[in-house]
Amino acid sequence: MLSLELADISVTFPGLAAPVLAIERLSIPAGGRVAITGASGSGKSTFVNIVTGLERTHRGRIDWSGTDLNRLAESGRDRWRAAHVGLVMQDFHLFAGLSALENTLLPARLARAASAEIVERAHYLLQRTGVQRPEQRIETMSRGEMQRVAVARALLRKPGVVIADEPTASLDIESGEAVGSLLLELADQEQTTLVVVSHDKRLTDRLRRKITFDLGRIVGDTGLMEQAA
Amino acid sequence: MIRFIVADLRKYWLGSTVVVLIVALAVALGVAVTLQERALRLGSARAADKFDLVIGAAGSENQLVLSSVFLQASPLPLMDGHVLAKLAADPRVAWAAPIGFGDSFTGYPIVGTTTALVHNLADGLAEGQVFAREGEAVIGSGVALKLGDVIKPMHGSAEEGGHTHTELAYHVAGRLRPTGTAWDRAILVPIEAVWDIHGMSDHEEAEAEPDHDHEAAADEHEHHADADAAITETWDADVPGLPAILVKPKTIADAYKLRQEYRAGATQAVFPAEILTRLYATLGDAKRVLFAVAIGSQVLVAASLLLVTVMHVAQRRRQIGALRAFGAPRGALLAIVWLELFVLVAIGIATGFGVGYAAAMVISQAVVDGSGVAMPVGFAREDIGFAVTLLGFSALIASVPAILAYRQSPASALRG
Ligand SMILES: Nc1ncnc2c1ncn2[C@@H]1O[C@H](COP(=O)(O)OP(=O)(O)OP(=O)(O)O)[C@@H](O)[C@H]1O
Ligand SMILES: [Mg+2]
Repeated sequence: MLSLELADISVTFPGLAAPVLAIERLSIPAGGRVAITGASGSGKSTFVNIVTGLERTHRGRIDWSGTDLNRLAESGRDRWRAAHVGLVMQDFHLFAGLSALENTLLPARLARAASAEIVERAHYLLQRTGVQRPEQRIETMSRGEMQRVAVARALLRKPGVVIADEPTASLDIESGEAVGSLLLELADQEQTTLVVVSHDKRLTDRLRRKITFDLGRIVGDTGLMEQAA
Repeated sequence: MIRFIVADLRKYWLGSTVVVLIVALAVALGVAVTLQERALRLGSARAADKFDLVIGAAGSENQLVLSSVFLQASPLPLMDGHVLAKLAADPRVAWAAPIGFGDSFTGYPIVGTTTALVHNLADGLAEGQVFAREGEAVIGSGVALKLGDVIKPMHGSAEEGGHTHTELAYHVAGRLRPTGTAWDRAILVPIEAVWDIHGMSDHEEAEAEPDHDHEAAADEHEHHADADAAITETWDADVPGLPAILVKPKTIADAYKLRQEYRAGATQAVFPAEILTRLYATLGDAKRVLFAVAIGSQVLVAASLLLVTVMHVAQRRRQIGALRAFGAPRGALLAIVWLELFVLVAIGIATGFGVGYAAAMVISQAVVDGSGVAMPVGFAREDIGFAVTLLGFSALIASVPAILAYRQSPASALRG
């Protein structure tokens, strides 16, 4: 399980006067269950990109249990992310032409990390997420099934943190609910920190802490109240 | 990884096919030009091989060689007939055979000559026997006639509006083995028969240009030609004028001496191989032009390949970003992008070599059908170098998109 310490983060894009994301200080303890909400364009995805090292900032500190992403080079961040982060995205990013199992294993295989143990774990995770036929071609699956495969892929290498960006936004209510439950259950079972970006209230209400963004700034954080209390 | 590449190529099969086609066409062009040039060189060198020394009346050397080696009908000046008697008696000469042109049959040139040439032209007869009477003919291996078929000689060729001789018809007596030369399409007949048909053995003033005024002559004169007359091949001083004599000297030294001797005065003597070498020097320039065109198209193709690869990456930005985001290492991604493109280009190159080879074969076949000159199409060692250079170049090009793929953050790739 990883903890996160953010300090002095400011993300600007050329041509924009105000920073898209500005966070003076944020801390998420190991094992935290955090929901991030906010209006469209409030900087939630930018936040995900920054804390996963998908996008680089040159200022501040992004400290995951002692590893500051800002001090890592690009390939270093890629490696760190591969080892520690389970990502789930709104549009799945699965690869047509490959089966559910192959999709689950693809990043690990490309990293030459697909041991027999990992393959067995992929089978287990697919079964656990309710994917009936691991050999089924991904493009023939329903969206709900696809997101389950994506969840299995995210958890494959036992990440210290699972980060999901709108995992339910492109699913119907029922599948969304199922995927949400899966994320929560598996985060508990696999003992990872969980950060879910969503404006799906049914999902965010199930997480212990809710952080609200507006115009790139944190305008609400139930965790702070807890800490204060 | 291989599975992924295969799945990916299948997904983008249309684009992939286009890449393969572009490369294949460019390579095929270069390969065909190279092969065809080589085939032309080898084929005609081989065709000239049989003929060590050709003697004719003074005039154009090229025309003499083209007419005698490639049987390209052209009006040759005639030399005095007793040159043949002199050569036949010369101890330095293994054999000497006169040739006379002018007639044809269904597109095949009829060549009047002697048994000496028939015996020495090919590795013997495939069937039948050598002509022994004026009314007999020996056909080249590529002539579509059967033993016993009747050949009615036509003066000139049908395209030139020639007329058919009525004096004499030949019967096919034998067929030569293939020689891979223009002579495979020739119909060989006794030269005495040719003289008789054209009324030359009567010592009428020999027609300097057989194509001229002959029709009138044919109508006015009753030439005698007896199909059953045995051929004698004894050359007295009455031998009519001859366009060319093929000579086989006994030794190389003899060849040079003979050439020296007959080069002067009213005759000329040439080594066909030498004339051809000179012709190639001229052809060589044409080849260079062709090759420059091929190279130019190759450069264009390289440029379009670069374009294709850049598009290839643009298309895959999302995919590459996603793979990175989910933990695929840089090395693996570079390998995928590189391999995908390289595989396509390599397939294109292989196809191009195949198509180029096939094209060269087709052209060669057309040449064989048209002229009888076999043009051997084949790869040589230097082609391996060409293939390796191409592959190396495409390996380089293929790495461009792989490197481009890493010039953006995975986040922006994902957004794209
Ligand atoms: N590369 C970029 N260049 C310029 N502006 C950008 C770039 N990336 C993001 N932005 C801007 O930053 C702001 C925040 O974007 P972000 O994607 O983080 O929003 P979000 O909260 O995830 O929105 P949504 O709920 O719609 O996904 C938006 O106004 C967006 O236009
Ligand atoms: Mg977003």
